[in-house]
Amino acid sequence: GTQLRSCKDEAFLSHPHLLQKVNAVARKYGLEDVPKEVANLISHATQERLRNILEKLATVAEHRLEIYKN
Amino acid sequence: GPGGLMLGESRVLDKRRLQELVKEVDPLEQLDEEVEEVLMHIADDFIDNVVNAACLLAKHRKANTLDVKDVQLHLERNWNMWIPGFGSEEVRP
Repeated sequence: GTQLRSCKDEAFLSHPHLLQKVNAVARKYGLEDVPKEVANLISHATQERLRNILEKLATVAEHRLEIYKN
Repeated sequence: GPGGLMLGESRVLDKRRLQELVKEVDPLEQLDEEVEEVLMHIADDFIDNVVNAACLLAKHRKANTLDVKDVQLHLERNWNMWIPGFGSEEVRP
């Protein structure tokens, strides 16, 4: 699986907004407000998801440059 | 009231924070505004996907609160993602 390479103190996502969003979904399922820890995990996972995409984008961009050079 | 809050309008991800991540991955990368928008969408969709799936898992457990393990299980199964350091640390196989 994928592992986080760095753990910054600053949260990736805005926690008030994230909690609002997550709690709204949880309520739809009849669940109580989510613990902060859960929001924290989602924040890290989202960062990881975007990092994976950005790494792929960087690889694609490199290939494109090589094509132009040839 | 709180029911009037529009989810789509709350910016969960700050553009500055996204740019920091971009620089971390590739210091030379410059993102077009369009690409930025797409990434913001992907983040939003990802959060929706994870939260909805985790809620279903919590319901399945007959729990009334979303737990870290619900989120972790979904991330592991569907996204091949294991993020350590959350909740009870179980011994992994």
